[in-house]
Amino acid sequence: MRQFDITAPTTIDDAVDGRHTFLAGGTTLVDLMKLDVLTPPRVADINALPLRGIGADEGGHSDNGNAGHGLRIGALERMSDVAEHPDVPPAVRRALTLSASQQLRNMATIGGNLLQRTRCGYFRDTTMPCNKRTPGSGCSALGGNNRGHAVLGTSDHCVATHASDLAVALVALDAEVRLVGSDGARTTPLADFYRTPGDTPEIETGLRDGELTTDVVVPHPERAAHSTYVKVRDRQSYEFALCSVAASLDVRDGVVVDARIAAGGVGTIPWRLPGVEAALRGEPATESAFAAAAEVATHGATPLTHNGFKVPLLRRTLVRALLELAEGSTR
Amino acid sequence: MTARPDAPLKVTGRATYALDNVVEGAAHGYLVLSTVARGELASMDVEAVRAAPGVLAVYTPFEPLPLHPVNSALLGRMWLPLQDKDVRYHGQPIGFVVAETFEQARDAAALADVAYHERPAATSFSDGLTSAVDAQPAASEAPPSLTVLADGVASIEDALEASDVTIDATYETAAQNHAAMEPHSALAVWSGGELTVYAGNQAPHLVASDLASAVDVPVDAVHVENPVVGGAFGGKATSMPALLASAAAVALDRPVKAALTREQVFTATANRPATRQRIALGARRDGGLVAVRHDSWSTTTREIGFVEPTSHGTSREWYTTENLAISQKAVPLDVPPATFMRAPGEAPGSFALESAVDELAEAIGMDPVALRLRNNSTAPPGEDLQWSSKHLDECFEIGAARFGWADRTPGGRRDGDWLVGMGTATAMFPGLRFPATVGVTLHDDGTADVATAGADPGTGLLGVLRIVGAESLDVPQDRVVPRLGDSRLPPGGLSGGSTATASAGSATMVAASTVIEQLVALASSEEGPLRGHDVGYAHGTVYALDAPERDPMTFGDVLRATGRSTLSATGTTAPGEETTKHSFGSWGAQFCEVRVHRLTREVRVSRLLGVFDAGRIINPRTARGQLAGGMIWGVSAALHEGIEFDDDGRMSRRDLADYLLPVNADIPDVDVQFVEHPDTLLSDLGARGLGEIGIVGVAAAVANAVHNATGIRVRRLPIRIEDLLEDG
Ligand SMILES: Cc1cc2nc3c(=O)[nH]c(=O)nc-3n(C[C@H](O)[C@H](O)[C@H](O)COP(=O)(O)OP(=O)(O)OC[C@H]3O[C@@H](n4cnc5c(N)ncnc54)[C@H](O)[C@@H]3O)c2cc1C
Ligand code: SF4
Repeated sequence: MRQFDITAPTTIDDAVDGRHTFLAGGTTLVDLMKLDVLTPPRVADINALPLRGIGADEGGHSDNGNAGHGLRIGALERMSDVAEHPDVPPAVRRALTLSASQQLRNMATIGGNLLQRTRCGYFRDTTMPCNKRTPGSGCSALGGNNRGHAVLGTSDHCVATHASDLAVALVALDAEVRLVGSDGARTTPLADFYRTPGDTPEIETGLRDGELTTDVVVPHPERAAHSTYVKVRDRQSYEFALCSVAASLDVRDGVVVDARIAAGGVGTIPWRLPGVEAALRGEPATESAFAAAAEVATHGATPLTHNGFKVPLLRRTLVRALLELAEGSTR
Repeated sequence: MTARPDAPLKVTGRATYALDNVVEGAAHGYLVLSTVARGELASMDVEAVRAAPGVLAVYTPFEPLPLHPVNSALLGRMWLPLQDKDVRYHGQPIGFVVAETFEQARDAAALADVAYHERPAATSFSDGLTSAVDAQPAASEAPPSLTVLADGVASIEDALEASDVTIDATYETAAQNHAAMEPHSALAVWSGGELTVYAGNQAPHLVASDLASAVDVPVDAVHVENPVVGGAFGGKATSMPALLASAAAVALDRPVKAALTREQVFTATANRPATRQRIALGARRDGGLVAVRHDSWSTTTREIGFVEPTSHGTSREWYTTENLAISQKAVPLDVPPATFMRAPGEAPGSFALESAVDELAEAIGMDPVALRLRNNSTAPPGEDLQWSSKHLDECFEIGAARFGWADRTPGGRRDGDWLVGMGTATAMFPGLRFPATVGVTLHDDGTADVATAGADPGTGLLGVLRIVGAESLDVPQDRVVPRLGDSRLPPGGLSGGSTATASAGSATMVAASTVIEQLVALASSEEGPLRGHDVGYAHGTVYALDAPERDPMTFGDVLRATGRSTLSATGTTAPGEETTKHSFGSWGAQFCEVRVHRLTREVRVSRLLGVFDAGRIINPRTARGQLAGGMIWGVSAALHEGIEFDDDGRMSRRDLADYLLPVNADIPDVDVQFVEHPDTLLSDLGARGLGEIGIVGVAAAVANAVHNATGIRVRRLPIRIEDLLEDG
């Protein structure tokens, strides 16, 4: 860890001066600073900013028409508090409960979670080439241990997964993020916020210099009341997903009316599956129909040396999540 | 049941581990590790390191810290860091930076500019098989290969050929790191020609002698303390921080502290090697074993060193068979060195053998428990020395009843979306003793010390000293103060080979009876309170046999009456004649139930039971802890743990987020049962070792349960989701 300056702004205006790296729970930032992966000279502890609250959306910093129909979660809310909040849709709650450990969830924030960095071991080891950490140095994972890496949205420059479980659930539920920078506030769908690596893996999101995440809004949370999150991993807690699926399903008279689905652990960004959603609509809510639709999920997947199993595993995880919702369906 | 004497300190955070010691003026050392797997150091530019704030000294192979050759009692000729420019593996210590603070040392170390003459590294086990060489199995005098054939049988192949049923399969186990909670660390203090070293280790008296050689001072000028040790598991016979901090403390004439970071623990220590084992079993239709062939390969360094004795540790002894052939080979690679880890040989060896026995049971169509009992040995095959006390049959009978084994069906059963299966395996660990000396000191306040150098890295030895001491002196336990973890105490109680209880326990008995004799003699001596009487000792008191009207006296009374504050004796025991009369081993039956999701294929261990025959159980509470801990580690080896190397020899998972160990959610209630048959042929104490046997057989029981649940036989550890996806 290098020496750094730290301040603790108390107003949003002071925080967004573009010179500081934000410190929320610190569970990503401090970890990566200890490893010398991140070496910010100036850090702003944002915990005193008024970015709390879980409740009905009142419009926030910009009104996009969803005001009053959304659930707003302040960026500084802790993962553990959100996981326990009754107004939060089940997919989000489960994604949070299955993340990290209770101790980490007590520290870590929603804003920080969405901006956590990849768990690729080469990214975390400064002695190894890594395009994401040091653009142009090469990607060690391509020829290295890539069992945990992505099969969707990859490029020759980077194959790292986006590690957040929460982001997968939020992308499935069409959530938006609200941002404030020195030139004002804006709102963007979370699905558009993340960037696949292409030839610039160092750019992971559309976040502008100095911009602060203030809130996350889940539109029409009542439509996600019938949702779930299934996470598959090598051990039963305290591990990132090998594969995960967030799904919200609307079944009437045994027929799928609507489905919203995203996958984690398999993509370079939280991976929305519009093709699967389309393939499900109008189909019976049965295992064979789910399995047929799941085939669409892995079209175009590009497995690496050690992660080919993620292709069938994604299809199986999808079927499991959909069956859970269909069997639990009261409609 | 006796609580751990050190439990209150540990659970309140007051136990003083090596690094918790604070001394005035201590400097801090930080290790620099190699980033290539093979070659020679071309140069190390440390100008910037030296110029960094607070730096006191920078040691490299170009400017080494003087270390002298060490011939260690436990490890033989030891490799010493920074003495030569060869790089033998990725993550090898190549530098040591000492600064005023830890942060200064760490930050300065990052500035070292290292250049290598790199050479191609061999790091792949499968590629290395072609260069395998015959190798002496670790801790054994046996030749690499050994064959026992029945009269008239020409070869093991012939015996297999002649069997009604045969199976032949190859199994693989992953390399593992001990990953003890307390990383290897030390504080070395050099003062007035004496070196005091606080460092977690398994035998302070032996480490003191190694360090004395390394820094070239007389052995009685070195004092090693390890009153508490945060886990060892075979991996703390030596440590780089202790060697480097000691040498630097002498060189700089200043106390020096050093510790490995968690990442460094994975390479700058030594690991359990990866193994590959081919097993062929031949049996008659009734299950009787005709032939066992077990060939083993262990990864090693190019110097060979430690070889995981998988065939010698299992098939050599476990079952009755008419014909046996075992072999051991080393596959030299440019990987970190290997060493002892809990049940070396038996743990990975039992995965192969006990999976193979399960495969044979299936091939014959016989119950796996019945097949094991059918071949229950009364002595190792081809040897005359019968097992001193073996009750494996009882372990299986109790275990099967308790576990509901009779409900197992060959294809497993289904519970909703979960496929449920049961598996079993035999566990065995040899019954050993090491020489040990224990001192018993009676005090005039009526308390007694029971002391040996040793170590209690969580194993429970401290409680054993208290229990056996109290029993031998016939006093309540709260009057006995157990002491260990200090090289100046009588030499004994080393933590290794599952020997400490039987060794230090029987030495305690000898020491106690000697001190009682002295006490009795003192009481009836000219200066004694019972002068002229015939004196006896019972219930912690001395009394006159010929004057029953006189009040019995405690030993404290006797000491006070004679104006003494203490009376001491030592007792020494060592393995002796018994080894020429019997074979010794602890035995166990492991049972496991798993649930595998029919779609996503996660394996969850839902029940675990181990029934163990380990002689007399001195302290059921810590015994259960040892065995349950071992069983959990077995689950870890089965489903989670494994060192992986990149092609260039870099270890790819080196922290506790990535190097997977089971968490609480992965472990069900662990049921541990004992059949208690004291083994007084091994020692008067009747206890045999149980520190290592808990892990043995568990991985096979898990794999056998997975097979029962899914029909899929996985012959490589750890078993992972991808192994169970038929379409993967
Ligand atoms: C051992 C371990 C296991 C884990 N397992 C999981 C898991 O299973 N699933 C999972 O999803 N996550 C997991 N995590 C990741 C964890 O959830 C994240 O580290 C955490 O959510 C980050 O939140 P934080 O508040 O601590 O962020 P910080 O570390 O404080 O910040 C992270 C990043 O976000 C930026 N940032 C923070 N807040 C804002 C804001 N309001 N506006 C703009 N930028 C901001 C920071 O500048 C920094 O770059 C794990 C972490 C660890 C250490
Ligand atoms: S996958 Fe991405 S993060 Fe990992 S080494 Fe390659 S470039 Fe770096």
